[in-house]
Amino acid sequence: MKKNIIESYLHDFERELRLNDSFNVELLAEIESHLLESVERGLRLGLNQEKAEEEALKRFGTIKVVSSTFEKERITPMQKILLALATLSGLFITYVDSRPTWDDTGITAGVILLLCGLLALIGYQRPWLLALVVGAWIPLYGLFVTHNFASILALIIAFVGAYAGWAFRIGIRKAFKTA
Amino acid sequence: MIGEALKGHLDLLLLTILSEGSAHGYAVIDSLRQRSGGLFDLPEGTIYPALHRLEKQGLLKSRWREDSPRRRRVYELTTKGQQALAKRQDEWKIFSRAVNATVRI
Repeated sequence: MKKNIIESYLHDFERELRLNDSFNVELLAEIESHLLESVERGLRLGLNQEKAEEEALKRFGTIKVVSSTFEKERITPMQKILLALATLSGLFITYVDSRPTWDDTGITAGVILLLCGLLALIGYQRPWLLALVVGAWIPLYGLFVTHNFASILALIIAFVGAYAGWAFRIGIRKAFKTA
Repeated sequence: MIGEALKGHLDLLLLTILSEGSAHGYAVIDSLRQRSGGLFDLPEGTIYPALHRLEKQGLLKSRWREDSPRRRRVYELTTKGQQALAKRQDEWKIFSRAVNATVRI
């Protein structure tokens, strides 16, 4: 059966919310209720079903606009503190790793992995940004100062840690919801 | 321009509308549009993040109402919300008076 454009919008919106870790059933139900109300208004004004749905979506805003507004509202002081902490930690790790007396790459990699995982686990909501602010400094130093191209691994490890922590947090939350 | 200016005062506007009685998101947006003569015409979906944030801050509370043709999430002001509204209204009076005095309207 062909989906109408409201259903398609809700489907895409749900996917966007899930990607941003902001999905909740009530929010989607609220948006659906709003859109259906808006369609009814259009029908009362004499539009046909298709035009009324188009108008409702036009008034509601594109998925990008609405989801980015949700994203901005989620940047709480705690998120800013966690990001600042991650940035400072990333810089400190790079400083330690760049010392000539430091040659334990395994410990550096482990610290990056654990730090990113832990910060994502305790609540930082944008794993990609977390990985960048922790893991980008070593490759930047490696590429531009010591010409060590293998240093890019630090960024990959940061991404692995951040997304592992994030996935674990979502898993825990789902488990609690279903329990 | 209006949209950008509105964002800084959206909380005050939403709290004011809801101080006159509980309402669902669609009604809040409709009221905002009508009272402003159509000037405050934001994408409707961008109001919900603000409503949810105000609820998280304890200034609003919401419940699902089932007595209409469909389920609607209805928002209302809490006691904390009423206090916050009074404070923001005072701040707005001082601010608008200062702006008016500066631009000599």
